Amino acid sequence: MSTNWRFAWRNIWRHPRRTILTMLAIAFGAALLVFSIGFQLGQYDLMIKGSVSIYEGLIQIQKKGYLDEPKVRSSINNIQLLAKKLRNKTSIDSITARANGFALISSEKRSYGTLITGVEPAYEKLVSIIPGTINEGQYLSSDSAREMVIGESLARNLQIKIGDELTLMGNGRDGSIAATIMPVTGIYKSGSKELDRNLVQIPIQTFQEIFSMGSHGHAIVFYHDNVKNDFAFKQQLNQLITDRKDLVTLSWDELQPGIKQMIELDYSSGWLMYLVLVAIITFSILNTFLMSVLERTREFGIMLALGYKPFNIGKLVLLEAFLLTIFALILGTLIGLAINLYFYHNGLTFEGMEEVASMYNMPSTLYPQISFESILIGPLVIFIFTIISAIYPAMKIRKLQPVEAMRKI
Amino acid sequence: MKSALTILSFFFLASSAQADDSVSAKAIIKSAIDNYRGVNSYSEATMTIHRPEWERVMSMKAWTEGLDKSLVRITAPKKDKNNGTLLIDNNMWSYSPKINRVIKIPSSMSNQSWMGSDFSNNDIARADDLIDKYTHSIVETSEKNGITQYIIQSVPHEDAPVVWGKELLTIDSRYIVHKHEFYDQDNKLIKTMTGSDTKLIDDKYVSLRQRMQKSDKPDEWTEFETQTIKFNIPMKENTFTLYRLQNPR
Repeated sequence: MSTNWRFAWRNIWRHPRRTILTMLAIAFGAALLVFSIGFQLGQYDLMIKGSVSIYEGLIQIQKKGYLDEPKVRSSINNIQLLAKKLRNKTSIDSITARANGFALISSEKRSYGTLITGVEPAYEKLVSIIPGTINEGQYLSSDSAREMVIGESLARNLQIKIGDELTLMGNGRDGSIAATIMPVTGIYKSGSKELDRNLVQIPIQTFQEIFSMGSHGHAIVFYHDNVKNDFAFKQQLNQLITDRKDLVTLSWDELQPGIKQMIELDYSSGWLMYLVLVAIITFSILNTFLMSVLERTREFGIMLALGYKPFNIGKLVLLEAFLLTIFALILGTLIGLAINLYFYHNGLTFEGMEEVASMYNMPSTLYPQISFESILIGPLVIFIFTIISAIYPAMKIRKLQPVEAMRKI
Repeated sequence: MKSALTILSFFFLASSAQADDSVSAKAIIKSAIDNYRGVNSYSEATMTIHRPEWERVMSMKAWTEGLDKSLVRITAPKKDKNNGTLLIDNNMWSYSPKINRVIKIPSSMSNQSWMGSDFSNNDIARADDLIDKYTHSIVETSEKNGITQYIIQSVPHEDAPVVWGKELLTIDSRYIVHKHEFYDQDNKLIKTMTGSDTKLIDDKYVSLRQRMQKSDKPDEWTEFETQTIKFNIPMKENTFTLYRLQNPR
């Protein structure tokens, strides 16, 4: 068999210039794919991380059915205890309990209907960026302080400043009327327009008292920088709540399906472009292979006459295609990888994409993803297409008749 | 509480007016509402919010003057006692003794549930809208025991600030509304209000029991039951004021 390999290797170098040009075309395509896919996937990672770190978290534990219909009564008993237990068992601190509701918030001048969330300030800081984006005043001080933080747009709409009191009216868990007056201690600017206009945070125990919640809450929110590992984290959390059949673990793509859909749409439209590129490469390779088969008709005729089987000659041609492609792909992948490694350490800044970036709480400097998927998927697709394209010339050999073929030029 | 009033405005339709076949659909609705307009009332009622796993009963008192003024005050349970709502024209204010403040409810809250019930704030303040901003037609007329019953289809005008695609009202010739169905833009039934326990009180026919039921949740409903109702009683001058809302007698 090694004769065949040597045979093929020599054959592809019979036309060094043509071979090198073809290899460069493949290598260039492969490098381009590695580069683009690396950045695309890298961008998605940032997008996911940016979006989930604002507020929703990577994973949430909720009562079954709460996601579809967030009713105040679909709540989890002893929620702070459960959150504490999960922190201890996982040794991960970025797990926090929340209680959610709806309330009418009023200043002296104006009223707005908003979402209101009871949070554990100490752990909320590790899960969401909101506590870190307080730009006036300060964040909530304890689990039971009587104070609130609101978003910048809401503060502007209500025409209030730090220290002003706001009234809050809503419905408690028992259907009673929940109402209170509390001062604003902090104003945050998360960058998410929706949250800045719509979300009020108060300490969780204060929330439970106002809304007659007892020890109940609605969600345990988990965050981790390693967003790629979401599935493993989800499994781990699931293991810890197997005794609670009424609860369900939800990952970011279930909590915010919009991001996932957005990514899928972008990825598939990206692939449309890539496939055009791959098709162009494929045709140029097909041309090379076809040429090399057609110009060797006479040679193949002699080989047939010497007792070579058409099948073996076909195999030889495929082997040539394989060798040429694989070396080109290795070259291209290495070039692409080198480029991506450079940007992985130095980052790539696009001018004028700050607006898009802020939508997903992303930095405007992009970093490519370096993973098996991002590096190998592009070259793999090129490989499959080129091998398929090499089958056609190889098939042509089966039709050759030794005598006729030998008479060809 | 406000919902009480709204409902009242639709259901406490007492009249001696003769309704014959020539009466237009709009006239039926208009005269029903007109008959109620200009009438003072005082009532005591309970509201039951029913859910599969729990139920809550609240007692309240309500004063109304015409269609556009009403005051509702909760009397029980103790936790919510003295919470009140004042409605003047399309403006709504809420008072809670816990904060001792009156809050104006912004119109953006109009689709929010009132007191956790199946009534929305919007179910109240828009009685006038039903006349002005809808096109009405009688789709069915039937007669039983000498009482004519009309089914009226009311479709909001293009520019009406209304979430419904159409509404179907079943009204009889005594101007009792037996059924009020709300359909969305896709012609799907969303919720139904039904009136029962028709009584003749102070020469007016009244539905003492009204139930609001969302179509997709058969075991969730809110029911109003009127225990006492008096019409044409003298009303103190400052009954419908923010001061009175904040200072219960």
